[in-house]
This record gives sequence, structure tokens and C-alpha cells, in this order.
Amino acid sequence: MIDFTGAVIGFFVMLGLMFCGLHIATTMVAIGVIGAAIYLGPATILAFGTNLWAVMNDFLLTAIPLFVLLGEILLRSGITKRMYDGLADWLSDLPGGLLHTNIGACGLFAAVSGSSVATAATIGTVALPEFAQRRCNERLVLGTIAAGATLGILIPPSVNLIIYGALTNTSIGQLFVAGIVPGLLLLSLFMGIVVVACLLRPSFAGERETRAPLADRLRRLRYLLPPILIFVVVMGSIYFGWATPTEAAAIGVVMAAFLAAANRKLGFGMLHDAFASTIKTTALILLIIVAAFYLNFIVGILGVPQAMTKFVAEVGVDAITTIWLLVLFYLILGCFLETLSMMVGTIPVVFPIVLHLGIDPVWFGIFLVLMMEMALITPPVGMNLYVVQGVRGRGEVIDLFYGVTPFILMLFLLVCIAIVYPDMITWLPNLLYK
Amino acid sequence: MIRPLLHWVAIACGYGFFGLSFLIVFEILARKLFNFSLQGVDEIGGYVLAVGAASGFGYALFHRSHTRIDLVVSKLGLGGRTALNLLAYLTIAAFAVFMAWRAGATLRQSIEFGSLASTPLQTPLWIPQTLWFVGLLLFAIAAVALTARAVALALQDRSRFNAEFGTVAILEEVEEQMHDISRKREPPG
Repeated sequence: MIDFTGAVIGFFVMLGLMFCGLHIATTMVAIGVIGAAIYLGPATILAFGTNLWAVMNDFLLTAIPLFVLLGEILLRSGITKRMYDGLADWLSDLPGGLLHTNIGACGLFAAVSGSSVATAATIGTVALPEFAQRRCNERLVLGTIAAGATLGILIPPSVNLIIYGALTNTSIGQLFVAGIVPGLLLLSLFMGIVVVACLLRPSFAGERETRAPLADRLRRLRYLLPPILIFVVVMGSIYFGWATPTEAAAIGVVMAAFLAAANRKLGFGMLHDAFASTIKTTALILLIIVAAFYLNFIVGILGVPQAMTKFVAEVGVDAITTIWLLVLFYLILGCFLETLSMMVGTIPVVFPIVLHLGIDPVWFGIFLVLMMEMALITPPVGMNLYVVQGVRGRGEVIDLFYGVTPFILMLFLLVCIAIVYPDMITWLPNLLYK
Repeated sequence: MIRPLLHWVAIACGYGFFGLSFLIVFEILARKLFNFSLQGVDEIGGYVLAVGAASGFGYALFHRSHTRIDLVVSKLGLGGRTALNLLAYLTIAAFAVFMAWRAGATLRQSIEFGSLASTPLQTPLWIPQTLWFVGLLLFAIAAVALTARAVALALQDRSRFNAEFGTVAILEEVEEQMHDISRKREPPG
């Protein structure tokens, strides 16, 4: 058994080792092994193998490579450019013009992809050339893509929600459904701030687009169908109970393959690229997950959950104060840590407190994802900033730091809404699942 | 030699996931339309993940895909960076060997006790676990070989060592991916 001080020291030693540049997975396993060596016997260290097999052979986690593969195939299926054009037809009338298309396209791609980085890279590649000839405010253009892409992990499917669900035994179906309303709200907030910015400074939006004839615009609507269809089938099959999340991901992969074939993009070369990328991403995620599960296992035997809840009970902080403290905690951590590491590294110590305080695990999962989205676009290490900068391939990353600032504020606003009106998140899953 | 091997194993595992998707869809259709189940597709799905991820670990290591935080490392001088990069490779090699060792023990137990999966298929566990163990063994061998090379290089040429074994700047990573995606491909046939 370990006390609160011991647990906190262990957590900070782990953070310290992470900052020394050790691999995240190594760090978590090392802390687990050290904890086991000090407080428990060698048996818990040797139990690693059994633990490893149990985690790696979990069909639920098979959803991760399948959703990654779905995104990788779609990325190469030639739908994104057309999807972008199809959206531009309808969103360009808003003040801010094509800027809204960036956000909308990110939202739509997010609905078929579980990753924010993939969304940023994909939409960035399609969108940035569109702005080369237009005199929009470049920083705002970059900001819409980097921020819009964070929707990738909020709008279902989301690889991060699967990991959260697996680690905390929370229903992935409910988590997915819970991501829809905040996802749409965030999309509206992002578009709203662009409208406000462009009304205040019309020069931000560049010249107005000439509108295509209605017939053309209607005809191009069909380009939006593939991603919407995949989203509806994947989410629908989970919701109606026809398929587990993993099975739904498999359906998505098959649909994406047919779509790519219909666009004459399916081939061995394209598939092998998609496979190589999928295996790389899966391996990096899984290595962190097996480490996190082992650490969680040790932390459980050590009695860290009890130590944490006892401490919280003694200090007597209530749920709402704790949440605000967690906002601060994750804001600071998010400035320095990579997002997945931030989530899995903190769950062992934070989640018991959350449960103890009676906070809804589904709500907390979405809250965590919102904090991760913020971490994805906060300097200095926000991953999306560098991805978009990488796609842009010129200028300085500082432009992105300025460009995302209004969107960080909107995200923060959504976090506040989620805390003040928790029903915003829990309403839909409660309606559908109870 | 180990690098191309890991690459082709990764591609094979990609086919595994791809094939699994079709198998799952077939199973769902059979279940919904004809009230007939293949049985055990979920079990196979678990095995595909175990083998695919285990064999991918080494591949990802060669591509420096495993996550590291470079905030501190990138700010240090040559000596400090060399020390921390070396430490990272020594520890991940130790971790990989530890994993393979414990997986080997788990496999040996399954063989000794003749353990069967507690599923309709009642698969003898040694079958998937052998492939899983081989994947982890590949990871251990790759990690040790890579670390041996890292130590040798660090002794000879520290700046080249840091270029090859440092954290990958995100920009480089993205450029590599972009190149991958934008490559033009002709449909076969």
C-alpha cells in the first residue's frame, strides 16, 4: 500500500523521465516496475507477460488499427478534394468565405477519421493551395485548419475515446454518441468566431467569391455523400446494436476500400502505403497502451486509487472545484506533453478521484478530449500547429501561434459551457442509451 | 537486413487487418441476414491485433515513431543530448527484452498446461501466442541491434549519432507523410 505522497512523487518522477526524452511507454513501465519492486514482490513484475497478452489480444482494442486503416485508405481515396469543393459551394456565402470551408471540411473528415493529426494533414494539403491566389489573412487561414482539425478526436469515431473507454471501462458507444453535440457546438463556435472576425475586419476574408450556378452546386452535393454515408453506417450500426465499435470500424474499412476502388485509386502501392502507415501508428499507440495498462494494474494493487480518494475526502474539495483545478492542471500539462501521453499518464491518478466525486465517466471522457484538443493547438508543442506548418512548408510557425489564438479561446469557452451545463454532453447518450 | 524484414512483416500484418475487416463484414451480414454465425471472428480479431501490434513495435522503432518528448532534449548541448538519446535507446532495448522474456514465459506456460482459449473455438493458446512472441522477439532483436549501433555511433561521431537517433522533428515527420500521400499512383491493370 502506498500513501498520497508516494503516489504523487511517483507521478512526478514519471513526468521527469518523460521530459528526459525517454520513450513514453518505457517511462510508464519503468515506474510500474519500480513501484512493484519497492512495495510489492517480484511476482507482480513477472506478471507482466500475462498482462501483456490480455491487453494485446483484446478485440475491443482491435478497433484502433481498423479506424486508423479506415482513415489511411480514405486519405488516399481521392475524396477529400471533391469533398472540399462540395462544401465550398455552400459555405462561401458566410462572412469569411472559404475560411468556413476549412472548418467544415475538418468536421466532415473528423466524422470518418479518428485522429486530429491525420485530419490536419489531409485538410491542410487540400485547403492551403486554394488560398494561394486569394488575399485572405494567412494567419486566420492556418488557424482554421489547425483548430478545425482538433475536431478529429471529438467527433466520433475517435481513437482517443476508444483508448479512454478501454482504460476506464466506459462504454465506447456512449462516449462516441456523447462527442456529437459538443463536436457540432465547437464547429459552430469556430465558424462563429470567423464570422465575427471577418465582420470586424472585412479584409481578413479576402475578396468575395462568385457563386456557382445552383444546378452545379446541387450536382456537386453528391461529393459530400461518401463521408456522410460512412459516418452514418459506422455510427448507426453501433447505435442500433448491429455491430460493436470494432465491427463498425471493419464496415468502415470495407466501405472505404470500395470507395477507393470506385475512384480508381485502389491498388497495391496505395494499399501498402496505407498498411505501413497503419502499422506504424498502431504500434506506437499500442506500445503506450500496454504500458498504461500495466501501470494501471500496479497502481491498482498499490492502492493509489484509495490513497487519492482519501486525500480528496480529507481536503474536502467538491466536484466543481476539482474540475476547475483539473482544467488548470491539463492546461499546463498540455503545453509540454504530447496529448495521448497526457491522457494515459494521468488517468491512473485522476480517474479514481473523478469516480469518487460522482462525476459521470462519459462526461469526463469528453472533458479530457476537450483538454487534449486544447493541448493540440497550444504552443509551444501543439502537434497540429506543426503539422499544418509542415504542410505549408514556408514561413514561420509563429504565424500559427497567432492564428489559433481565437480558436483556443472558443475551445476554452466550450470547456466552461461543459462544466456549467454538463447536460450538454450527457443529454444525448442518456436519451439514446437509457 | 532486419529493416526490410520488419517492413514486409508490417505489410503482411496490414493485410491481416484488411482481411479481418472483410471477414467481420461477412460475419455481420451472415448474422443479420441468414441468422448464421461463423463463430470466433472476435477471437481472431484479438489475435490479429496481438500479432500485428507486436510485430509493428520494431518497425515503428526503426522509423522513430514511438513517442518521445523532445522539449528538454532539443534545448541541450551536444553532450547532454547524446547522453539522453543514448539513455532512451538503452532503456527501450531493456524494455523490449523484458517484454520478449515475459511473453516467452507466458507462452511456455500455455504450452505446459495446454491452455485453451475460453471461447467457442477453444483455440490452443500456444498457436496465436507463438506468433505474438515471435513479433515481440523481433522487436527485442531490432531494439538491441539498433541500440548497439547507437552506442557505436555515439563513440565515433556524436553529431551524426544525434541526427540518426534523436527525436524526429515533427516537421520532418509530416513532410515524409505528405510525400507518401501525394505520390501519384496508377491503378493497376
